Amino acid sequence: MTALHQEQFTKAVGNAGEINDLLRRYGVKFGIYKNGEFKEQFFPFDPIPRVIPSQNFAQIEKGLIQRVDALNAFLYDIYHDKKIVRDGIVPEDFIYISKGYLAQCEGVTPKNKIYSHISGIDLVQAKDGEWYILEDNLRIPSGASYPLIARELTRIAAPQAFEENAVVDNRGYAQLLKETMEYANCGGIRAILTPGRFNAAYFEHSYLAEHTDSVLVQNDELFVEDNILYHRTYSGGKTRIGVLYRRIADEYLDPLTFLPESLIGIPNLMEAYRSGNVGIINAPGNGVADDKGIYYFVPKMIRYYLGEEPILKNAPTYLPFYEEDMKYVMDNLEQLVIKDVAEAGGYGVVFGSELSKERLEEFRAEIIAQPRRFIAQEVIDFLDLPIIDNGDTVMRKADLRAFVLSGETTKVWASGLTRFSRNPDSFVVNSSQGGGFKDTWVLSR
Amino acid sequence: MKRVNYCFSTKLTFDDYVHDHSFALRIIPPETASQQILSCNLNISPYVPVKQTVDAFGNNVTTGYLRDDHRFLDFEIKGTAEVDCTKRRTDYMPCYLYQSEYTQPDDALRDFYRAHQDGCIGTAADRAAYLCDILSQTIGYQKGVTDTATTAAQAFALKKGVCQDFSHILISMLRMDGIACRYIAGLAFCDGETHSWVEYWTGKHWEGIDPANNCPVGDGYLVISQGRDFRDCAVDRGVMYGKYTRQLQLVRSILS
Repeated sequence: MTALHQEQFTKAVGNAGEINDLLRRYGVKFGIYKNGEFKEQFFPFDPIPRVIPSQNFAQIEKGLIQRVDALNAFLYDIYHDKKIVRDGIVPEDFIYISKGYLAQCEGVTPKNKIYSHISGIDLVQAKDGEWYILEDNLRIPSGASYPLIARELTRIAAPQAFEENAVVDNRGYAQLLKETMEYANCGGIRAILTPGRFNAAYFEHSYLAEHTDSVLVQNDELFVEDNILYHRTYSGGKTRIGVLYRRIADEYLDPLTFLPESLIGIPNLMEAYRSGNVGIINAPGNGVADDKGIYYFVPKMIRYYLGEEPILKNAPTYLPFYEEDMKYVMDNLEQLVIKDVAEAGGYGVVFGSELSKERLEEFRAEIIAQPRRFIAQEVIDFLDLPIIDNGDTVMRKADLRAFVLSGETTKVWASGLTRFSRNPDSFVVNSSQGGGFKDTWVLSR
Repeated sequence: MKRVNYCFSTKLTFDDYVHDHSFALRIIPPETASQQILSCNLNISPYVPVKQTVDAFGNNVTTGYLRDDHRFLDFEIKGTAEVDCTKRRTDYMPCYLYQSEYTQPDDALRDFYRAHQDGCIGTAADRAAYLCDILSQTIGYQKGVTDTATTAAQAFALKKGVCQDFSHILISMLRMDGIACRYIAGLAFCDGETHSWVEYWTGKHWEGIDPANNCPVGDGYLVISQGRDFRDCAVDRGVMYGKYTRQLQLVRSILS
């Protein structure tokens, strides 16, 4: 989009107020736990879209498909032959110490060998224009509904913006998701399982259920009989479920296989899944592939499984687990970003440059004591994006969550969730850390 | 080689009606290189249709769902098997080399292991026998002080426990020693209850060792289930609804 277009667009929207009012009215929120209390927070929308030129997106798309295909091949391999470990590409410890590895999933093959049906890949664009992968989210990433509904509302508030700009329509997401669910369907209806309205993604669950013709269900409406998953109907009957979209964590999924104290799971769901009677989106056990420690190995996986050179780059990453990397991390700690592999949602991310001398030394000792727990990365100088702040245009850090759907083929949704930091000094853009979001426009020419 | 008759039963009774009762049982002994199941009869009462699957660790899993009100669930398994522990099992899984939920050591258990790790140099079998020996000198067999939720570290702190606790502590130490090993739940001679022991990986095959009795495992042991620790092997797991106090009234096992 040219500067002129942007100005027109901003003017057309007036300020973000109107759309944000609409979003509030539609209940577009996400839940957050702060000091043990549940709060629903409004996810602020910024009207200036991120624009990705068609040529640029084509490259990203190729790279993402390649990456997700390799990750799916890796998951199948880890839960079956483990060739990549035997061939010495990934050290054994990294698999079995990972909290995301679930021994209970050994030998289980999901329909069509697809583990990550919906992958949320976080990227950033550096100042030189190059895109870098920051992390992979393979345990049902959330967020697709936000740009969907924001686009819908922007069309209402500023229809001329779409007449003047050749933007790829993003309304196909629901259809794409529906096809992906159908490809994993083992015979029965489609269902979206939600832990209820006190969940961070409740808005999204209900939105997606409505748009994919799926039933929105809670666990007490479901039961497993003869290793088949059923939905209990109001009349006392039962309807077979062939594919279940769920966002509850693996450990809570089935109290008879995982945590016995789970009250939000479905007893014997894993036996129904193991028997091939129900598809689970995304597959349990995926955490082993989106572990921050495993991230380091994804480019190696692409070469190993696909025999191709990675199209998209990882941010330069060091594993203190390796002696050579440990030395580099110790020598350059104050300029690196350190991530705790066990944390998510922007928690456990520490910038060496922000630490006091004392804290830096403490942190150094922690890394030496538990090298497997941390990864270190070079700080990428993100391209700043303009946002409207109290009527002024200011520049802020932003990332892009791209959604990759794996069904009969792997497809990238031509849109995505652009999250930005509202704090001018912060690189952390996660919604749970108070960031906002933008629509992402992929241009059609 | 030995031919054994086995029988194992559990009676679950509830002091009020329960319903929507889902269960997963691991009670059907697996057919393996070292044990041949000649006959096996499963009885469950009240009647409920069940399904059989095999889990990731090679265990037979029997699942069922009792929707209507009931006040008890009884199950019994009975049959004959031929056990020959000279025929080796080789079903290795790399996860057995890593600590699991029940075997994660604390500082005390780690220190104990370190104090003894140089006491023996030899094969996995030598080291397993040595660590088992040390363990039997340190931990006393006592019922009632631990339960099914007790971890290796907790039992070690008590210095007391039953077969399950001996197995968890030995597994924890073997894994610290870099020897892959697994938890076995089964039946043994001279035992009115289910028994538990450990199998370690020699590099080529599994070998059984009974830490509660500080002896090798022979033909008088029947494997019912196996896994990283007790949690993978629980005989019965269930979820049910109702106002009740769950009671595991009677567990009986015979190997003859």
